[in-house]
Amino acid sequence: MSADLITSVLSVAIIYAVTVLYATIGEIFVQRAGLMNLGLEGLMLMGAVTGYLVAVNQQNLPLAIVAVILVGIGMGLVFAFTTITLKADQTVTGMAILTFGTGLSGFIGKSVCGVSANLMFEPIPIPGLYRIPILGPSLFNQSILAYVMYFIIPLSMIYIYKTRAGMILRSLGENPAALDSAGYNVFALRYVYVVFGSVMGVMSGACITLSYTNFWSDGMTSGKGWIAVALVVFSRWNPLIAVLGALLFGAISVIGIDIQMYIHVIPSQVFSALPYVATFIALIFTTGNFRKKRSSEPGSLCIPYDREER
Amino acid sequence: MKKKVLSLLLTAVMAAALLAGCGSSETESADSSGNSSASSSEASGKTNWVSQDKMGAAPAKDADFSKFKIGEIESYVIDDGGWCQATHEGLVGAMKELGISEDNLITLEEIDDTDQAATQAAAEQLIDAGCNVIIGCSTGYSTFLPEIAAKNPDAYFAQWGAKQDNIIGYMIRSYEGMFLAGYACGLMSDTSLFGFSASCNEFSVRTAINAYALGCKHAKSDAKVKVACADSWYDIDKETQCAQSLIDAGVKYMGGEYSSPAIPETCEKNGAYVVGYHMDRSAEAPDAVLVSFCWNFEPIFKSILIGVENGSISKNDMYYWGGDCSALTDFASFVPSDVVDKVKAAKADIASGKLVVYAGELKDNKGNVLVPKGEVMDDATIQLQDFFVDNVDCAW
Repeated sequence: MSADLITSVLSVAIIYAVTVLYATIGEIFVQRAGLMNLGLEGLMLMGAVTGYLVAVNQQNLPLAIVAVILVGIGMGLVFAFTTITLKADQTVTGMAILTFGTGLSGFIGKSVCGVSANLMFEPIPIPGLYRIPILGPSLFNQSILAYVMYFIIPLSMIYIYKTRAGMILRSLGENPAALDSAGYNVFALRYVYVVFGSVMGVMSGACITLSYTNFWSDGMTSGKGWIAVALVVFSRWNPLIAVLGALLFGAISVIGIDIQMYIHVIPSQVFSALPYVATFIALIFTTGNFRKKRSSEPGSLCIPYDREER
Repeated sequence: MKKKVLSLLLTAVMAAALLAGCGSSETESADSSGNSSASSSEASGKTNWVSQDKMGAAPAKDADFSKFKIGEIESYVIDDGGWCQATHEGLVGAMKELGISEDNLITLEEIDDTDQAATQAAAEQLIDAGCNVIIGCSTGYSTFLPEIAAKNPDAYFAQWGAKQDNIIGYMIRSYEGMFLAGYACGLMSDTSLFGFSASCNEFSVRTAINAYALGCKHAKSDAKVKVACADSWYDIDKETQCAQSLIDAGVKYMGGEYSSPAIPETCEKNGAYVVGYHMDRSAEAPDAVLVSFCWNFEPIFKSILIGVENGSISKNDMYYWGGDCSALTDFASFVPSDVVDKVKAAKADIASGKLVVYAGELKDNKGNVLVPKGEVMDDATIQLQDFFVDNVDCAW
């Protein structure tokens, strides 16, 4: 396997991973807090279309990011109010977010379909590091949104596992009643994490239209929101494992194209199926009860907290 | 341990089920972009092939299109940057040329061409709205529309793909445009290695690959076309990797069958060149797209509307036009003028019959003779395209 091939596969894998990881890490925080938002695909589409609309019409990338964040906050508040305050079913609410996001993004995106923004976050090569063989061009010639993710990953790990706030987050998902008894506002904390997760979800979409490629098309996330949901479970709610999963999925998705160009004996459809087979295998081994190991799933996941039932 | 084995077994069974639908089939089914096989054109035995000489015919001076109401059933959105958009723009263009207001057009989008209920409901909705001409952009609709067409003899249904009873059929000789695009790439390239980024294994994609390869060969007799297969109609990641893989393999000029700008953008980032597909893609990557192949449905739709107006059209009519329907956009400014002139000359030769794209001796990439020397391939075989020509290297 040539160095160029490894570099190009790794580059695409990193870009793929970054676009999925914003939503994945956001959802890890949401699920650690005890809630589940299955509407990530809808959030990503809304983020993608919002960022692109502003980029096309205002030709201003920082403004596009601000708009995306505001949309994320809005949608997060809707989900939070519905599931935390009204205690509606989280799965159904997530599906509603999905449907709403998918439909609304298609509707408002019509005006910019086929329109080129000619404005995106271009790759920024890091001097020196960019020249490291094989890894350099892949890791250190990415856009600023990828570099931000490089910081988010370790910060997420430190936050969740090494800080008091992270301990509170984990308690929120394990035993909110205990946290409530200790005087913490469970509802407010859950609102914060849901909004954070929603902002990260829309940022995933913005990565696609403002960094990865420079166009908008209805449904262009192509199921990445669902990949993010699967990665949360696959990673056992651990951001670092989520990174490995995202990279693996991204690499498997594209490496088949290179292999089938040279090896015709294996049908190309086999490579198309590989990512999903890998996902099946990964989910079996990470969620199956093969070893006597305590599950990482938050104990109160998807259970609305009602103080009166404490 | 037992559970682990059972789980692995289950995974293997599910993976096998995933692969169950793999592989090409002799009889192709409709796909999301509306292309399909064309092997059943003689279902009713009364097909009337509309001569390409009728292209550009004007309506009578006293023609009255004021009562026309036109319906359009699209499998995806009309601004998809691909097939559906090309169909819609062709229809709108034809209406504009005939002075029919766009207010007289009803467009129904995202009608799944595998959903019988949705397709029939869409057609009935258009009939109820008073449409007298209904266009189905995807050949998948042909499974369900003939029945509705039979129940509504006053309405004229036109359908992309093979001829079906009670429905006017239309197709475009896309191979003419792709041949010319390949010829342009062949003239510009210093090497004999070319690429093609393909979406799905389907007849229109194979047509594009073969025509492009023959065009490259027309310029360079030892031209080889390497094909990267995405196996998806729309996947940004795979399309990006297809282009990147070809570039990594040494390809500088490539054709493609795609809907997203991922391939032109990747080519532009890497100093490679690409032929646009479906529509003008120059805005997506101005330094990479040397020319674009476009589906130009306007002449066909104009002919259908004129025929409906003056009563000359028949529901047995089948359009299989090339020429301006198999259109190329203007060449990019970086394409030398002598290349442009040669391509234009080749286009004129195709129109006059002096140059035949599928002329013998033509072999496939397994060494079999497809067309003996001195003969030309018949339309039925051209439409099916269940082969790759000898200079194509493809995994399908």
